[in-house]
Amino acid sequence: MKTAIDDLIIMRNIVKVYPPSVVAVDDVSITFRSGEIHALVGENGAGKTTLMKVLYGLVPKNAGEIVYRGKTVQFRNPGEAIAQGIGMVHQEIVLIPEYTVWQNVILGVEPVSILGHLDKEKARRLVQSKIDEFQFNLNPDAFVGEISVAAKQKVEILKLLYRNVSVLIMDEPTSVLTPQEIPQLFNELRRLRDSGHTIIFISHRLEEVLELSDRITVMRRGKKVDTVEAAATNKEDLARMMVGRNVIFTSQRTKHEPGKVVFRINDLSYIDSEGRQRLKNINLEVRAGEIVGVAGVEGNGQFELVNTIIGLIEPSQGSIKVNEQDITQASILERRKFISYVPQDRGKMGASLNASILENAIMTHHRLNKRFSLLNGLLLNYSQAKTFMNDLEARFSVVMASQFSPFKSLSGGNQQKVILGRELMLPSPFVLLDQPTRGLDVGSIEYVHQLVLKMRSEGRAVLLISAELEELFLIADRIIVLYRGEIVADLPVENTSVEEIGYLMLEGKTWKKNE
Amino acid sequence: MNILTGLITGMISGATPILLAALGGTFTFYAGVFNIAMEGMMLTGAFFAVLGSYFFQSWVIGILFAILGSVLLALIFIFFAVSLHTDEFVTGIALNLFALGATTYLLRQIFKVKGVFSSPGILAIPNLRIPFIDKIPFIGVILSGQNLMVYITVLIILLSAYLIFHTRFGLRLRAAGYNAVSLDSSGVSSAYMRVLSLLICGIFCGLAGAFLSLGYVRLFGENMSAGRGWISLAAIILVNGNPWGIALISLVFGFFDGLGLLLQGYNVPPQFTSMVPYLATLIALYFYSIRTRKSPLK
Amino acid sequence: MSKKFISGIIGIIIALLIGALVMILQGYNPIETYQALFQVSLFGLSPLATTLKNSVPLVLTGLSASVAFASGVINLGQPGQLVMGALLATLGGLYLHLPSILMVPILILLAIAGGILWASVAAILKHVFNMSEFISTLMLNMIADYFTAWAIAYPFMDHTAFSPMTPQIDKAGWLPDIGGFNLSILITLLAMAFIWIVFNRWTAGYEWRISGQNSLFARLGGCNIEKNFMAVMLVTGALAGLAGGLVVMAGPHRFLKGLGANYAWDGIMIAIVANNGLLGTLLYGIFFSAIQTGALGMELITNVPSEISQVLQAVLVLVIVAGREFLSTVMDRLEARRKVLAARRKPKEREA
Repeated sequence: MKTAIDDLIIMRNIVKVYPPSVVAVDDVSITFRSGEIHALVGENGAGKTTLMKVLYGLVPKNAGEIVYRGKTVQFRNPGEAIAQGIGMVHQEIVLIPEYTVWQNVILGVEPVSILGHLDKEKARRLVQSKIDEFQFNLNPDAFVGEISVAAKQKVEILKLLYRNVSVLIMDEPTSVLTPQEIPQLFNELRRLRDSGHTIIFISHRLEEVLELSDRITVMRRGKKVDTVEAAATNKEDLARMMVGRNVIFTSQRTKHEPGKVVFRINDLSYIDSEGRQRLKNINLEVRAGEIVGVAGVEGNGQFELVNTIIGLIEPSQGSIKVNEQDITQASILERRKFISYVPQDRGKMGASLNASILENAIMTHHRLNKRFSLLNGLLLNYSQAKTFMNDLEARFSVVMASQFSPFKSLSGGNQQKVILGRELMLPSPFVLLDQPTRGLDVGSIEYVHQLVLKMRSEGRAVLLISAELEELFLIADRIIVLYRGEIVADLPVENTSVEEIGYLMLEGKTWKKNE
Repeated sequence: MNILTGLITGMISGATPILLAALGGTFTFYAGVFNIAMEGMMLTGAFFAVLGSYFFQSWVIGILFAILGSVLLALIFIFFAVSLHTDEFVTGIALNLFALGATTYLLRQIFKVKGVFSSPGILAIPNLRIPFIDKIPFIGVILSGQNLMVYITVLIILLSAYLIFHTRFGLRLRAAGYNAVSLDSSGVSSAYMRVLSLLICGIFCGLAGAFLSLGYVRLFGENMSAGRGWISLAAIILVNGNPWGIALISLVFGFFDGLGLLLQGYNVPPQFTSMVPYLATLIALYFYSIRTRKSPLK
Repeated sequence: MSKKFISGIIGIIIALLIGALVMILQGYNPIETYQALFQVSLFGLSPLATTLKNSVPLVLTGLSASVAFASGVINLGQPGQLVMGALLATLGGLYLHLPSILMVPILILLAIAGGILWASVAAILKHVFNMSEFISTLMLNMIADYFTAWAIAYPFMDHTAFSPMTPQIDKAGWLPDIGGFNLSILITLLAMAFIWIVFNRWTAGYEWRISGQNSLFARLGGCNIEKNFMAVMLVTGALAGLAGGLVVMAGPHRFLKGLGANYAWDGIMIAIVANNGLLGTLLYGIFFSAIQTGALGMELITNVPSEISQVLQAVLVLVIVAGREFLSTVMDRLEARRKVLAARRKPKEREA
């Protein structure tokens, strides 16, 4: 029985900037009603989580106002939000593994007797009664570090219910659950809604969102696109809103016949230290003059794939070959003779922010490029390095004050240019690109795309991992889809569509189009 | 028999300051604070203890002053490391050196001596004789007649164990170390827990310092703490924070302290017995490194 | 460079002001006192020479810590490496009797070997057992302390002396003054120049620096992190050992109790306050030496106890380091504020 009429939470013109320059939430206004399940959808980086962190008081906003139960509020920390009845369950579980379920639940609102003595018996009893009330299947004495992920999630929810919150914000809750655990969660959430709670459900999984929610708000690149009734929309509409209408489907790719196979992965599998199978029987080929795009929701094996290729992770089985040279056991330096690598996170993996631009540009070249070495590799030929830098600057149109300025003084786009320049000036036949346009402005994105197409026409083999489907459709020749560590599709780009790939990413199988 | 009782008494008096400092450090350890300033806090406590005792002719005031001085140092630590987010390691080292310089300087300034200040005017913490216990054969001589601070220390072990494992405060303290984000999102400030842990550490190190200078000896010497703060740090790391384990380890360290004095009469160089705690820590580190348990202290 | 310079000057001024405050509270005249302090340490050729000679162990251990920290290696073992180097050099000086021209270089090499040896223990423990070098070097400090204490009290003791110490080393190993300035200063500057070249011109030095800033980036770029770690431990151990040897050869010419004093810990502080910069380490090293040298003389003139130098040093370190953090946080916040205004000004886009 839904009587979702009251505007419980009104957020107006919210802006959030992460120092120094990332605009995560860009002037967003949104309204949540009491007694509804309201989904917040969008791609990775759309701003959904940040928006909720602002509401919850985890992160201060830079502008805008929030009205809760008719009064303007500003929660300075989650404690204040919880006291007012709003609670958030994070995507990454923030429980204490060394503590038991009941210890985690009561932390912060512990029942005490004289002198702060912890009344353990009472705590257990209270927690048990809450467990019974909401029909969660939990053992209060179990250590959180030892229970399943789904159970941990329930503990997080229980923590909030114990504090009598009426608004539950859930951030990508199904991303950590197995398919069998999801219906149970949904039943619990529906029960909560029916007893008067409000659920805000952040997700990018469209089918789930349509099944569970009453209303859906779509966000894209920090802005709100629209809010719709779940009953009045469908997957295709939502996908279109998430990805954006201004998708240029006319590709700049020219016809190009790929050459021989340069990069080959056979039967690659990887089981992590906790026994989970992260990669399963990966077979992959990339030919010279070809761009192969890798699509997939984050967490489906891309991280492990990239790291086994580059050499940070040792696979459990399988082989990796470049130009028929087996590099599966090779050191990272050895591999770099064949592989150019542009990592996902510029600051953490692709550069040293405090070092000078020059010093960043010569990495790997300092060992592989004979011109840089003096005295048989003992000394670094800095004058050659400077020439190299000038060359890079010109070829890749890098805008910078001086070679010696710190790398972090460059704009995001120019940083990426330096990294790309550095990697492309290596004489390697194979290029591994991981989210190369993440966080870049439109002009830089276009530039990067041109560059990648140039690599292709020069005969390099390119493996491009990207969360942006439109990007893959723009420049890739083939698209493979990673789902739960396996390749579930390997399609030429002409034979598929954004919707099909999107569906494959989320469901792991294709859907039959209605005739 | 006298040798044995002498040995055990030596062991207890050697263990006490280490134990107190280590107990203080345990609180910061559990709170996730990277605290290496116990040495400086202890030294400051030792100096202020003599100050209080001498000028007020009272060992009680001496103890209070010791706590005051040590807590003062803890407050400086809090100011730099918690409020200003200065690196905890750097702050600790700077404070240790600051304490060394300041106490030596003040020794010269206030007492007008170099090296050691000793005077009958310094009132020491008395020993405590327990009426019936001291009649028990063999162990009576050990259980009774120890310095008052030793008995206080025993109480503090009990208090610490209780606080850390049976109170709301302890639950939150350990949570701050295990997962500060989790504690913060539960509505309790982990920074506040860190501040409290540092204050407690200050108090306990103050007591340790008071024992050093007003316990079995009645003097203050330059750099009197002589590395005991580092030993207490080693004890915490070895035991991973459990108060009872720390008591045990401190007794072991204290034992070697006392043993060293004994062995000097037998031509074994005392330097080698002094090395033992540090060798022991290295060995423990080996066992520590092959375990996979996480600890708030890196 | 200039931002570091300015914050350094400000830090020094604040530290001196705090010191002045303490002096005033005690009834001393701070201007007279500081005048005396700097007169004894810096004004004049002879004071300068003494200050520079005293700066040798500070600069070398500071260099050791700077290079280590800048390369991501937490070597805190300079105190132990210093005394081991000093011991080995002393032993060489006691048992080898060669002409000066051979003796001096050999003793220096022995000092370096001592430092390398002691550092290699920690390096091996890390390599084989993955023991954090932070703790192992600290423990090894204490062990080295006690070991050398034993060595000078038993096997190598000078029985004519009143306290534990070795006999004096062969005169051929004594470092002479040249033109009023001790040779150890020259050796230090040479060491510094060498380290500068390695750090800034060698391929290895490049990898060390980048590893210290972002070891994942360095690893992905092909650097051998484990090998570099070893090399840095040994080189920085060598520097600390050299410091120990020079202290013996230029100073008391024997190993006596308390030889290492606080040099190595001061050196670590110097590295921290100089933010691991090589030039900064040199300058702060000389400055700390000036304070320490001057404080002794200052005491004779104005009766202010020389220990105030340690107080000044500690305050200086805290003020500069805290100020650095504060400044960068402030700058980040200002940058963010700028972005917010830009976001507000953008017109609302309608998704077609």
